[in-house]
Amino acid sequence: MSPSPASVANANSASDFRGMAAQMAVLPLHEVGPAGPGAAVAALGFALGLAATWAAPAGLVWAGEETVFAEEGAPYPPGLAAFGLDPARLIVVRAKKRDEALWAAEQALGAGALVICALGASRKPLELKASRRLLLFAEKHNTRCLLLKQADGASAAWTRWSVAPAPSRAHDLELGAPAYEATLARRRAGPAGARFILEWNAHDRAFAERFQENREPVFRQEAQP
Amino acid sequence: MTDEARWLALFLPRLATDRLKRAAPTLRDERALALYDKIGNAFELTAVDAGASKAGLRAGMPLADARAILPALTVFEADAEEDARALNAIAAWCERYSPVVVLDAPYGLFLDITGCAHLFGGEAELRAGMLERLAAQGFTARAAIAPTPGAAWALARFAKEEASIIPPLPCGEGKRGDVLAALTRLPVEALRLDPEAAALVKRLGLKTIGQFAAAPSISLSARAGEHASLRLAQALGHAREALTPRRPHPPVTALRRFLEPLFNVDTMLIATQALCGDIVAKLDRRGGGALRLCLHLYGVDGRDRTIEIGVSRPERDAKAMLRLFREKLNLAAENLNAEFGIEAARLDVVQLQRVEATARTLAAVEEVAGGAENIASLVDVLSARLGPARVLRGKLNDAHAPERAGGWRSVLNASLIACGGGAGEEGRTNNCAVESSNSTQMPSTLALGSRPLPPSASPQGRGGEVLRRPLTLFARAQPIEALATVPDGPPVRFRWRRVQREVVRAEGPERIAGDWLRGEPTRDYYRIEDNEGRRYWLYREGLYGEAQEPRWFMHGLFA
Repeated sequence: MSPSPASVANANSASDFRGMAAQMAVLPLHEVGPAGPGAAVAALGFALGLAATWAAPAGLVWAGEETVFAEEGAPYPPGLAAFGLDPARLIVVRAKKRDEALWAAEQALGAGALVICALGASRKPLELKASRRLLLFAEKHNTRCLLLKQADGASAAWTRWSVAPAPSRAHDLELGAPAYEATLARRRAGPAGARFILEWNAHDRAFAERFQENREPVFRQEAQP
Repeated sequence: MTDEARWLALFLPRLATDRLKRAAPTLRDERALALYDKIGNAFELTAVDAGASKAGLRAGMPLADARAILPALTVFEADAEEDARALNAIAAWCERYSPVVVLDAPYGLFLDITGCAHLFGGEAELRAGMLERLAAQGFTARAAIAPTPGAAWALARFAKEEASIIPPLPCGEGKRGDVLAALTRLPVEALRLDPEAAALVKRLGLKTIGQFAAAPSISLSARAGEHASLRLAQALGHAREALTPRRPHPPVTALRRFLEPLFNVDTMLIATQALCGDIVAKLDRRGGGALRLCLHLYGVDGRDRTIEIGVSRPERDAKAMLRLFREKLNLAAENLNAEFGIEAARLDVVQLQRVEATARTLAAVEEVAGGAENIASLVDVLSARLGPARVLRGKLNDAHAPERAGGWRSVLNASLIACGGGAGEEGRTNNCAVESSNSTQMPSTLALGSRPLPPSASPQGRGGEVLRRPLTLFARAQPIEALATVPDGPPVRFRWRRVQREVVRAEGPERIAGDWLRGEPTRDYYRIEDNEGRRYWLYREGLYGEAQEPRWFMHGLFA
């Protein structure tokens, strides 16, 4: 498999996910969305994984809309613990409306917390102003925000990820580690289009890129828009 | 009684009929209204309004007699519960004058107005204003102020209007004489005697309190007489009297009354700021911090609007308190119904906690650097606006039933919020047993496919760790249609949310026995991956043989 043009273009800075994640860790706002129907939990897992790899001295706040919790299930403390997050250090805010969730996220960013803001599907795309506010709050208080929502409208986020679940790579009868196919759909500072197959290691709290048998990274060509 | 105590007794002689007239305005035009009840075997009047009273009707009169005197009399059956409710409502209204309001059923109230009167321009103004407002709301009321509850009670019921306040005297020496002087001409019934004691005292020829007080107390050795002496001593302030306020007296409280009613939220916030300042000054004196605060906004319309806030650590900073009240007030602005204005506001510390002044340890400095302080105030702000039940922290419980194994607690009040639809209570942890919790223990024939599990395939063996519990759990497990090839095996395909899903991998079963006390069936849980890599947590309810037809449910999703 020859490297795709997109991956070559990325090669200088973020040819592997580790480099990419290191870049992301210092940028204030990122957006994560499901790649298709039924991928919302994968997007959530990817976002939680990113949050778990980043330092959060003031704690982690997960501000979600009630509709998201109804649709995808409510966060489950034993599951979070298994995923590598201490549920006792996480504050979950169940907001009734989108405005409330955004407000709670802004307040939490203002307090210096790392924030995951999960928004439900809506007919109206999120205004640019709203994501811009999150960006500014995160920037000002030197923290980061992960915005979890459907891809729609303009956004102030530095990167936008489109995440789908990846098939497990384990013995027939077992489920392996959580695996995601994460596509960098948009990037403010640099070319987008790179696609990573990632496995979450809950024990090490780290993403590992999945390589094929010949140790080549799995890059697949993204259809260029 | 301490010397500076001041009590106001409120007497609502026509509460029962006034209450009816307020509820049904057409009754206001009735010439005479009375209530009756069946007492013994006869119908007797229990309450009469002013019109009926003028016609000579009295409570206790047989209904037939009353009808004979006044054929046009309108009567209703008495309802003591409604009377009590009306009295309670009036007591709540009276809390704008003092936080200590004591119910004196059926028709009276006591208010401890010690140190409150100056806020209303003095005792006479307080009393007059109170009666005026009650009258405007349709309640006939009498009130009296005295150094003891007993004396105030007597004056409210038996004294003339102009003699209804016993002024406080600077020196304790003359005061008791003064109370006695005010009460001396009142009948002995004014001492709150029960009927037999009153009858006894009267039989002895002692008609007024003055005569009764002058009589040697030794001569009243009978039991009823002792009761009467106690009442006299209480009225005069020689004996203590314990009264139970309607609600516990808040440990710290501040009250402000406004010259002009407040109409908009901004002015209310200024008033709240002042109250917060008052409260903080008082808290400092007591060396405490407020955990819960309650702001009462008393409207001109007689309604009491309360706004309660809670904080996660004892608060003694007026600015932080104000910030929380601002959130709540802005949110409640349209529900305040303050079109008639707010005339007074009171801030109570409902829950007080001591704050120990401590030296800043290294750990504390680190905590501040880590932003823990910020998170505490963040929780307060979020809880104030969204409600404490929406700001949660996770908790793991030692339980096998998935619904009870983890829950969410309000960060603020530490009350448990169920994470799933199942019961969220704790403490019932020992009634579910795991019969087979490890997938490697199951017979291989039950698994999908026929290859036995290699012994080396322990989950930890390959870098990535297998997660046994899903990231999200549905509040209620969702029924699905599933097809299994073998009765006790995992499904090969299932339909969830109208989409057919093919099972590629399955792990399980993990058998979790139901709580026999609740009659829950056994569940076999499977971790499933479909052909697109999505992962689910399914279970089959009921064993073959235990249940008629096993049903399948979707309980959670793995990320």
